[in-house]
Amino acid sequence: MPLLQLSNVSKDFGKLQAVSDLTFSVDKGEIHSLIGPNGAGKTTVFNLITGTFPVSAGKLAFDGDDVTGYEPHEVAQKGISRSFQQTFLFMQSTVLENVLIGFHMHCRAGAVHEFLHTSRSRTTDDGCRHQALEIIDFMGLKGSTHELAGNLPHGHQRALGVSIALACNPTLLLLDEPVTGMNPTETTEMVERIREIRNRGVTIILVEHDMKVVMGVSDRITVLSYGKKIAEGLPHQIRENQQVVEAYLGKEEL
Amino acid sequence: MGRNAKTGLGALIVLLLVLPWLINPYVLQVFVLTISYAMLGLAFAFTLKVGLPRFDVAAWWGVGAYTTAMLMLKAGMSFWLTLPIGGLIAVILGWFIFIVVIPRGMMVFLLSGMVLTMAAQQIFASVPFFGGWGGTDVIPLPTLGPITFADKKAVYFLGLVLLGVNLLVYRALFTSKIGRAWGAIGSSLGLASSVGVNVVRYRLANVLIGNFFIAIAGSYLVASTLVAIPTMFTFVNSINVMMYVIVGGIAHGLAGPIIGALVVTFIPEYLRMAKEYEPIVTSAAIILIIIFVPSGILGILEKWVKPWFLDRFRRSGAKAGTSGALMSSDEQ
Repeated sequence: MPLLQLSNVSKDFGKLQAVSDLTFSVDKGEIHSLIGPNGAGKTTVFNLITGTFPVSAGKLAFDGDDVTGYEPHEVAQKGISRSFQQTFLFMQSTVLENVLIGFHMHCRAGAVHEFLHTSRSRTTDDGCRHQALEIIDFMGLKGSTHELAGNLPHGHQRALGVSIALACNPTLLLLDEPVTGMNPTETTEMVERIREIRNRGVTIILVEHDMKVVMGVSDRITVLSYGKKIAEGLPHQIRENQQVVEAYLGKEEL
Repeated sequence: MGRNAKTGLGALIVLLLVLPWLINPYVLQVFVLTISYAMLGLAFAFTLKVGLPRFDVAAWWGVGAYTTAMLMLKAGMSFWLTLPIGGLIAVILGWFIFIVVIPRGMMVFLLSGMVLTMAAQQIFASVPFFGGWGGTDVIPLPTLGPITFADKKAVYFLGLVLLGVNLLVYRALFTSKIGRAWGAIGSSLGLASSVGVNVVRYRLANVLIGNFFIAIAGSYLVASTLVAIPTMFTFVNSINVMMYVIVGGIAHGLAGPIIGALVVTFIPEYLRMAKEYEPIVTSAAIILIIIFVPSGILGILEKWVKPWFLDRFRRSGAKAGTSGALMSSDEQ
């Protein structure tokens, strides 16, 4: 049984058909890339999966449960978390505080304990802090643990976005252009980390424009064009697919 | 909290305790009003934390005031009982309204706040039970053991206690994980919900806690004025509350609205000599503050006074590190 199943999902904004009749599934433990030219509807698909936009038609199933119509926080509670394409961070907070916010669901001691700052609340806090520091270390941000997110260089901000998503302890992680704007070294490091996250048992859906990254890291690829699925398969199959080359690669070398 | 900050706080508390004997009764009465205003300013800042500007403050202030007045007059209840009851009524009424309003986002919240303020005043004025535009009858003086609240000093001290409790509760919430989630909602709604924060529920909780303390501020106001009159709870009050927060310093957590309430209330008092020009002069002063000091009064202090302070310390050979806590220890 696939971990995530989209069945005949459509989304229209008024007359604009952003996603039409899309069916695809993601298996547990794979890195599944979603590619397509600008405006193909990749980010919209993320917004549909996370409940940011309600679907116009079709069904979403996650881990065997129907999650169509779930609110974003409910989707997060089911175990799906995401990083954003725009750098969405808590800019006025430190790196550590940003990651701690990601622990919102998993580090609760109960409202009363938290309000009174009881010892129980402090113990959970320490536990979370410890885990947060581990994530920060893993994402290569150890040196800037106490810096304000707004002051970080772009590459680090993207890494922090992924750190926050990891703090939610997801089963399925959606990464929206995680290496955009990074230099080659940062990109290589990020790709390594994406693999490592998968090896720790997290399923990943990746939206990315950098074809070298996509071809190198993906187990499977789904190609969208104008909101429709035009191809699906292994990286080498996509590379050789004539329809994909026409729709998408007329201008770009694979 | 650094040692300097502790000394400063201690000095401030002593000053507040002896203040009634240092100033004339009229100024003391203005201080009493300021305390009630400061609680309103705090509520505005408190709810701004979840990204919601509230212009319904005067409405819940009125709910508190009228609850106290009506319960004391019609049911002969003790003032002390009406205080929490007013708060609870504001929470319950607020729940019915905000459960509909908050899911519809910030703009709907803002606009419905304005409507609520105006509607509340109309209701107080036109329902005969509340006494019309003339207001309620005069309430009996609240008493506490041997102390009666005919003495303005007693009213002032009651205000200090209420303001202090209000501050401590807000502060404890801000520094808890609940406050962390609130701050997350305020700085990025999308990111907050993506990590599993139920935005509607957290916003609702924040707004209703705010309602409780706004109503307490209203009951307190009645302990001083001894009547509730519809014209006390106007839309202008709701706007002024935002002024307190901006003038005091929007980035300075809970200290900003208190300083702002003091300044915005006392500027017009000292401009009374200008009589009919007073509103113009006050508005001009506030516009100038917003243009030239967008970070508010605490913003200037931090920018100018602190470096000067640090410089002094360095020259006198003291360690400079500790005085940094003077302004910023209070922040979320």
